[in-house]
Amino acid sequence: MQLINALLQANTTAVATATGTAADYFPIGIQLLFAIGFVAVMIGGSHLLGPKRRTADKLENFTSGIESHGTARQPMAIKYFLVAILFVLFDVEVIFFYPYAVNFRDLGWQGFGEVLLFVSFFLIGFIYIIKKGALIWED
Amino acid sequence: MNAIILSVIIGVVMMFCSVFVPNKNSYRHIASIGLVLLLAGNIAEMHGFSLFHINTKGMLSYDNFGLFFNTIAIASTLIYVLLSGRDIQKIGTYVAEYFVLIFFVLCGIAILSSYNNLLMLFLGIEILSIPLYILTGSDKRNMMSNEAALKYLLMGSFSTGLMLMGIALIYGATGSFNIEVIHAASPQQGANGMSELSVSFLEIMGMLLLMVSIGFKVSAAPFHFWTPDVYDGAPAVITSFMATIVKVAGFIAFIKLFDARMLGTSVETNKLIGVDWKLLFAIIIICTLLVGNVTAVFQQSVKRMLAYSSIAQAGFMLFALFSMNDVAKEGILVYSVAYSLATIGIFAILVKMKDFTFEGYNGLGKTQPVLAFTNTIFLLSLAGIPLTAGFFAKFFMLESAIKTGTYLWLVIAAVVFAAISVYYYFRVIQAMYFKAGDAAVVEAPTMSFKIGLLLLAAIIIYFGIFPQALLSWFYF
Repeated sequence: MQLINALLQANTTAVATATGTAADYFPIGIQLLFAIGFVAVMIGGSHLLGPKRRTADKLENFTSGIESHGTARQPMAIKYFLVAILFVLFDVEVIFFYPYAVNFRDLGWQGFGEVLLFVSFFLIGFIYIIKKGALIWED
Repeated sequence: MNAIILSVIIGVVMMFCSVFVPNKNSYRHIASIGLVLLLAGNIAEMHGFSLFHINTKGMLSYDNFGLFFNTIAIASTLIYVLLSGRDIQKIGTYVAEYFVLIFFVLCGIAILSSYNNLLMLFLGIEILSIPLYILTGSDKRNMMSNEAALKYLLMGSFSTGLMLMGIALIYGATGSFNIEVIHAASPQQGANGMSELSVSFLEIMGMLLLMVSIGFKVSAAPFHFWTPDVYDGAPAVITSFMATIVKVAGFIAFIKLFDARMLGTSVETNKLIGVDWKLLFAIIIICTLLVGNVTAVFQQSVKRMLAYSSIAQAGFMLFALFSMNDVAKEGILVYSVAYSLATIGIFAILVKMKDFTFEGYNGLGKTQPVLAFTNTIFLLSLAGIPLTAGFFAKFFMLESAIKTGTYLWLVIAAVVFAAISVYYYFRVIQAMYFKAGDAAVVEAPTMSFKIGLLLLAAIIIYFGIFPQALLSWFYF
């Protein structure tokens, strides 16, 4: 009860004066403690109280129902990595078109020019990686 | 604006040179020409001639201080490329790309010297840092270099996260990303007897987080732990660039931020929360000087010693933030020239050495007299001996601190630490001249390299005798 009183009091003072003193952050502190405590209790509780059955099948890695072969730590061609990175790069660039698409009419020709500039930079990068041979598969 | 756009254009042009120009030796000449163009563009803008007129909606503003710093940074880079271009070429196979990344770093520096908006600060810091992560790991066959790059990336990303958090808090407190107009949105407190301009708790927290993250970039003391490993692991030529031009650019960003927010961070306005920024900076300075100087004494490798010495020098540069007056602003410009030129020279010689330990320098005075002589002048300048630029750099910094009239103990402590720094700088000089041995260089230095070093030493002595010459360019 006292706790709730304290919370309410802190709330009202915060609303009344709207200052930024440390006392105003008391409820947030309580909330933080509660959040951490809740998570800790839940994780700890399920760990301690939950039933444990360790069978060989259960300890195996889940790979979509297919039996796994070997470990994941085997050498893989670096090309995959490069292509994946380039894909992510160009994929993320496309995201920048969304804000433009939303404001397409308002921005007018100036906005169009800016986007054209953006695309041309984009294209320069693309020409560069092609010329550098980043996408050649065979050695 | 000239510097920001030209550096990117030249960078992109160099990118395509790597594809269409097969001769690898020509890249450093192209880079030098590019830097000369960049320098010309920036000086033209200092005289009011701007090539581009782009409405940035007040996000960037160009003042004399920032433009002059750009000139210093670009000129230092030009000297760096002229002296060490051959060694940059030797790092690995992607020669042109190293120069490209250096140009992109310069773009970040040009943004940092003209930002007027916290988003631009963030963008500048990122454009500055990301090419450096790559450059740190550019020696791909070397495990140390890889380790340094990964460490730098992880720690750098973390500090960038703190910076974003700080910017978000400031935005929450003031409703604006602008670095100057902040108190318009602050709640008025006149009624309950508090001071009129009161900064909120959130804003102070935001400023503290920004201070931590930029402090990380300039390797101020409690946030310096990445510095020795990264500087030691990175190829020595790249360390030279990181420890000089990039670090000083961090200080310019720092000063611009705290200069614009001087009112918000003064003792009077944040009585309510009670953060004494002067005391905070004093503590950081003492920590930085202590860690840098004392640890540098115990190093066996000259390269690692220089990493700690760069932390120690950062401690002196932090005086500009501590005192934040006109002397400090002039002083940081003199300091950036003195420190950058001397360190670039020392690293240019270090790269030529076969052995990076102190023993590796034994007898260099006999085998390579020109290298040893110029190295001595650079080291004297770093130690702050009169008649070199480093003396006046330290002098201006301490003068600015004395002008504030408080914390005299800080100035005295700084002088003591400067005296300690003489010990480890002189250990190199002692090894070169008073110890027997045959210091081996990787390859015989060329005539042009020696002349370059002598010219650099002459510039350092010139600014040591006439420090006003530099500042008269600033005011001209």
